[in-house]
Amino acid sequence: MTADTLVIMSESEELARVRSWLGEQLARRGVDEHAQSALQVAVGELATNSIKHAYGGRGGQPIHISVTSRDDGVVIHVEDFGRPFDPTTYRQPNLDEMNESGVGLYIVKRLADEFSFDLARERGTRWTLVKYQPGMKPNRTAEQEERGWTSR
Amino acid sequence: MDIQVTQTSGVTLVVPQGDLDMGTADHVKRTLTELIEKGQSKLVMDLSGVSYVDSSGLGALVAAMKQARAVGGNLKLCGLQEDVRSIFEMTRLIKVMAVHSDRQEAVSSW
Repeated sequence: MTADTLVIMSESEELARVRSWLGEQLARRGVDEHAQSALQVAVGELATNSIKHAYGGRGGQPIHISVTSRDDGVVIHVEDFGRPFDPTTYRQPNLDEMNESGVGLYIVKRLADEFSFDLARERGTRWTLVKYQPGMKPNRTAEQEERGWTSR
Repeated sequence: MDIQVTQTSGVTLVVPQGDLDMGTADHVKRTLTELIEKGQSKLVMDLSGVSYVDSSGLGALVAAMKQARAVGGNLKLCGLQEDVRSIFEMTRLIKVMAVHSDRQEAVSSW
């Protein structure tokens, strides 16, 4: 199946539209409701990250979200064209503290089966999430599970 | 987001309806802050009408909870839907926030 793409502007009012569109896309691909909810949160976090950090809160900037089916699950890309994500500044949150911020990407890592980002671009960041069908998730090493994401 | 605020047994009951995300987190935080600043720091928030919460929403609740605790009150939660509860569990907030099954239990816990 080819990719379906939604383009939104970098405004918080758009997030509900993302959830609605993504829910429809995942439902027609046979993704169960629990996984739909998880991916709605994960994609919402990435879109929020793009609005807040890549575009620094500036509205009217594009964010592309696409969904592609494959035999073992679905692949979702979230792409912005603002300031690239800098993985060297990321700190895993200390969950024993009561965090008011800084847990968004942690939540994404927990909700997706695979999570990666591509910085080898002229501008911005392209995030990729993979969610496998039940029973199709490949085994990962402890190190891969701990790291939680990959980059290029 | 619609937020209803009522008083019951000396406790302020806050009932939001809708999604708690980046677009509504400030409204929720502002509402709670205003209540605390007016001296209403014994708070119960019934989340049964909230089917979606993200890190921005969590941040607003944590900030309000800290503010309430700083003046001797607290922000207690109840009515978490399954998907919302799983986000609280994932971030371990379920352990540090006072979470009750329903409104009656949360109000009477004061």
